[in-house]
Amino acid sequence: MASQFNSSGPPRDPAAADDRGLAPRAGGDDPFALLGLSPAYDVDLAALERAFFERSKQLHPDRMASAPAAERVAVLSRSRALNDAYQLIKKPIPRAEYLLARAGVTIGDNERLDPAFLMEILELREELAEARAAENTELVARLQGAMQARRTQALEALPGLFAASDMKAIKDRLIVLRYINRYLEECDAALDEA
Amino acid sequence: MLMQIAEPGESKIKEACKPRVVGIDLGTTNSLSAHVADAAPEVIDGDGGPLVPSVVHYAADGGVIVGRPAQARAIEAPHDTLASVKRLIGRGAKDLAAVRAMLPYELVGDDRAIRIRVAGGRRVVSPVEVSAEILRELKARAEAALGGPIEGAVITVPAYFDDAQRQATRDAGRLAGLEVMRLLAEPTAAAVAYGLDRGSTGTYAVFDLGGGTFDVSILKLVDGVFEVKATGGDSALGGDDLDRLIVMALIPAVADLDRRTIGAAVAEARRVKEALSDLALDKVTFELAVPADLPRAGSNGIVHQVLGQRGAQYVTVCDRLIDGQPTSAASDCTTCMPGRYRHDVTRAQLAEFAQPLLKRCGKACGRVLKDAELDKAELDGVILVGGSTRSPVVRDYVATWFARQPLCDLDPEQVVALGAAVQADVLAGGKQNVTLLDVVPLSLGIEMMGGVVEKLIHRNTTIPTGATQIFTTYADNQTGFDIHVVQGERETADACRSLARFVLRGVPPMVAGMGRVEITFLIDADGLLKVMAKELTTGKEASIEVVPSYGLSDEEVEQMLIDSFEHAEDDLARRNLAIERVEAERILAATRAAFASDAALLDDDVRAAGEAAMRDLEAAMAGTDYLAVRDKISALDVATKPFAQLRMNRAIAAQLHGVSLDDAARKVGV
Repeated sequence: MASQFNSSGPPRDPAAADDRGLAPRAGGDDPFALLGLSPAYDVDLAALERAFFERSKQLHPDRMASAPAAERVAVLSRSRALNDAYQLIKKPIPRAEYLLARAGVTIGDNERLDPAFLMEILELREELAEARAAENTELVARLQGAMQARRTQALEALPGLFAASDMKAIKDRLIVLRYINRYLEECDAALDEA
Repeated sequence: MLMQIAEPGESKIKEACKPRVVGIDLGTTNSLSAHVADAAPEVIDGDGGPLVPSVVHYAADGGVIVGRPAQARAIEAPHDTLASVKRLIGRGAKDLAAVRAMLPYELVGDDRAIRIRVAGGRRVVSPVEVSAEILRELKARAEAALGGPIEGAVITVPAYFDDAQRQATRDAGRLAGLEVMRLLAEPTAAAVAYGLDRGSTGTYAVFDLGGGTFDVSILKLVDGVFEVKATGGDSALGGDDLDRLIVMALIPAVADLDRRTIGAAVAEARRVKEALSDLALDKVTFELAVPADLPRAGSNGIVHQVLGQRGAQYVTVCDRLIDGQPTSAASDCTTCMPGRYRHDVTRAQLAEFAQPLLKRCGKACGRVLKDAELDKAELDGVILVGGSTRSPVVRDYVATWFARQPLCDLDPEQVVALGAAVQADVLAGGKQNVTLLDVVPLSLGIEMMGGVVEKLIHRNTTIPTGATQIFTTYADNQTGFDIHVVQGERETADACRSLARFVLRGVPPMVAGMGRVEITFLIDADGLLKVMAKELTTGKEASIEVVPSYGLSDEEVEQMLIDSFEHAEDDLARRNLAIERVEAERILAATRAAFASDAALLDDDVRAAGEAAMRDLEAAMAGTDYLAVRDKISALDVATKPFAQLRMNRAIAAQLHGVSLDDAARKVGV
């Protein structure tokens, strides 16, 4: 599985760096390697957490608080890289986006979207905006629930697509997921206001 | 046997080698410090226990008093006695509009930073300086207790403090002459104390309701690792608010009262609230002296104090009156005294008054569980932290909300300092097996064109962390980037907290979208932010340690530090003088009262000597030499000793005979 990826990491394409949810990579560190894992979408979350905790015990800046300044700076940046790697791998979407970028496929700012989906999401956004304006929290909660179901559905498709290395399909799903996430963020904001 | 003899010496040597570091809980209401002696953390005791009330009194003569003696001044000098200053730290005028009316002292300053006018209007201080006074007091106590200078401190902050509030707290530590080793989130510190004490493993919620801040954190504890899964809360919500809610419920016309009376009303509300923490009581009387110059009206010879709208028909405040009519003959209405307001408060009423506050807590709990992607049934326990969780009203709410009995076997007011002491020990190279993985409480981002926020770092990201993002020019021939750093969850910059603004100039003129700037956010283990910007076509860089939009710049802190060194001796003398004067006043008042009440026990010689000593003491108090005041206090003590001895004998005799002091006094013929 690992061999099909370029081990030098993804290209530092400015457009890629601009992407939401794509965490930074200090000095081209491979987040999977930092946690002793091979790069793959399927991750054993319990094992990931164990690996993160074990490495944190060694790498955390608190362990080196009395070390010379230069060493502390190095420790801080290693600790940052480790934390960021954990965040990236832990969450399915950043993990998928990273693996996609690593395979040389990037998601730009103006990607084409399935027109049917675009129409639908525009309508749903309108409905949400109206519910928000009318302070209809029940409706907002219902819209949120429906969208969460779609998110789960979209995520469930990813393991199969990664197994088949269908990068095009993965990319399409991830673009859809961005719209879904933005919508869910808006639902959260609306419910917070209430 | 030999082992036992050798042991104390050995531990002394160990003690001597160990760096003297402490954990400090700088609280809204009370502050305290703790340290790790051998293995377990212990709180550091001082006069009257480990807690130092977070109250600072600025006397007109320049003296500064901290803690209990300052608290004693709050009623008579509310403008110069600052409490709950933690609510002001790192904040601007805009943030404080809501609480301003309820504060007894005068806030000045602009939107950038709040200042308080004190010392009879002669001095203006910042919340950072006030907090530094509290920290100095804690430092002095710790140095006295540990027998030497403090080499470092971990200071706790509410998990939900934003970057400006954290920076300001760190500045206060520096100003107090402390080496701030780390800022640590309060609920995380509490979890450390619990985790070590009980050897707990699992996922816990920490419900931390202090005097002025509320945090709720979800932590996972595994083999010495404390990972914060999510944190939430409200850095302007606490027990203080409940005091205010009580006052507003009992006195609808509170805005008509003067500041001194409002201060007294809030203090009385706190007393009632605390008294109701005692489960044996289910009703406590709220009682307040009201100034005589408020409009009042008579009824059947009894004067009811008016607390209604000024000049309008008064709202009676006597709880014996219903709808303005006495429930019984007016002559029975003993609770209606001129100038006094009385009202019984039941625990059920207290719970009702607290509802708005508790609902906000519940909402934050819901959000933090969602962020942690957990159901409350998946938690292994709920830990109570903060003085306000002593209240049964709060405990009941937490128990109901989480559907389980919360843990409170460690003192909720000490647990944060204990955890901070452990972390200080770890940072000083101690052997504790503790690794803390804390998070950013609020998202950090940049204001984009049109005022929307682009988040670079999302809330609940483990720290230290960083993020880099590239932004492009918006207009043709744009030659600079105006970078506005904000913190918060709202979509627009004006609804978020403004942390800093800076400008990156020298971008070569290009078509819109061609100029590119790379912005990097770095967050260290204290949760403090550093921002760097790099123009990519020329490689021009700008970097700032976020100079807070609120609070103090580094230069201001430096200047204050220089000033404080220059005036350190003066300050110390002034502080001592202020303390001695308070003590002298207390003793004078007590002596006069005793002379008046027990005149029969007083022979002429003792009376003359005592009165002379009192005059001497008063003369010393008018001067500026605190040592002279201290001497005269001792002299008065000596002069009145025979009298005190007689009083003591009589009290003992009365005790032995099982009669009250009043009876004894009558028998003596007073």
